Amino acid sequence: MSIMRSPVLLIAMVVALVPATARAQTYTPPRTADGQPDLQGIWMPAGTFYNIQDLEFQAVYQTFAASDSAQRGRSLVVDPPDGKIPYQPWALEKSNLVLKNHAEPTAQFLDPNARCFLHGVPRHLNNREFEIFQPKGHVVIFNMAHHTYRAIPLNAAPRPPEAIKLYMGDSRGRWEGNTLVVDVTNNNDQTWFDVVGSFHSDAMRVTERLTPINADAIAYEAVITDPKVYTRPWTFALRFNRIKDYGSEIWEEACHENNERTLELMLKR
Amino acid sequence: MPAGLGIVEGNDIPYQPWALAKQQANYAARATADPERRCYLPGVPRVMYLPYPFQIFQTAQHIAMTFEWAHVVRRIYVNTPHPPGPIEWWMGDSRGRWEGDTLVVDVVHFTDKTWFDRAGNFHSSALHVVERYTPMGPNHIQYEATIEDPMVFTRPWTISVPIYRRTEANVRLLEYECYTFGFEHTWLKPPQ
Repeated sequence: MSIMRSPVLLIAMVVALVPATARAQTYTPPRTADGQPDLQGIWMPAGTFYNIQDLEFQAVYQTFAASDSAQRGRSLVVDPPDGKIPYQPWALEKSNLVLKNHAEPTAQFLDPNARCFLHGVPRHLNNREFEIFQPKGHVVIFNMAHHTYRAIPLNAAPRPPEAIKLYMGDSRGRWEGNTLVVDVTNNNDQTWFDVVGSFHSDAMRVTERLTPINADAIAYEAVITDPKVYTRPWTFALRFNRIKDYGSEIWEEACHENNERTLELMLKR
Repeated sequence: MPAGLGIVEGNDIPYQPWALAKQQANYAARATADPERRCYLPGVPRVMYLPYPFQIFQTAQHIAMTFEWAHVVRRIYVNTPHPPGPIEWWMGDSRGRWEGDTLVVDVVHFTDKTWFDRAGNFHSSALHVVERYTPMGPNHIQYEATIEDPMVFTRPWTISVPIYRRTEANVRLLEYECYTFGFEHTWLKPPQ
């Protein structure tokens, strides 16, 4: 998988932008051995990993045909209605500086992903292929890129102390009907939402909702709260489509210094 | 890392003569040459005895191991064949089967870029590992790995080491991100 296949993705993403909340929840998935709604399989986010506030922007930067002009400026941010992350003024300035410098970055404008760090939440669900695995009492997500993983226990075990900050945060999940609801705390301030410097602080909390809408699609919403950086909570939404390109297994894709593939993906567009 | 006695049965790894010389050269250069220092995925069996915790998730078809060190992942598919090679993966390709209560995992398709330890013990991409995970009690697995590599060793050899469950009430994996790129200039810390 490389970004060269992304024209197909772009078409898929344009089709997928009906807000998740607008869909009736009528699909009932099969159950796992321990009774969870079964979302297992390999999925591809039908969004954009490049600039979550502007899909057209991705088309321009990746030099494939621009999408329909009606899509110009379409955003994965579904709330607020203007599709913009509600940054506080200082934070908008900081994010814009990265946006301006990201294409030919000096070190301080380099996407943290290019350094092989864990992607963080929600970005790891908006970055190419991932697998959902549901052993007893858990939902575990495995990304192909960078072998990022996240374990989501389906219980109310005590959280780590607030001072412990993690790239992937601390997740607790529960099922509300067929919807997996995950609260994510203990996030650090080292991850972005996309390539162009959309960011948060270590006060971020995320509430995610994964709702299967048919056998091959999941609606995803994440409500992002971070009073240090934003003026209000905001909501990010996209869709996951089941993919069968890899059979039932995703294979190793390492990330390390001098990894040509990482450099190609992150620095040479 | 704390000191410890070896885990190789019979103590000595049966290197071919050229390979013993290479191991000694690796040892001399270990402060810079150990692939662990570059944050490469550590390979099998080394990942199993790095001094960091890992978690096992399993269903009937599939066993997943997630590691704290460098967010390494192992996926062990049960009763399925290896994909055809040649493939060079840092962690190899793992296929498991149950022999009674013992999980037996056959691992092939390695690179020649990982070591067994910090002392320069090494292998080629022809490495073939057969692991045996035998539960000895509720909190204790005996781990054995038979290592075969006709390019490097004169015969197969075996390691054996116990793996103990972490039993703290609040245990969870944390993150040990391995990083070699240099922290001096990041977006949080621009150059002065």
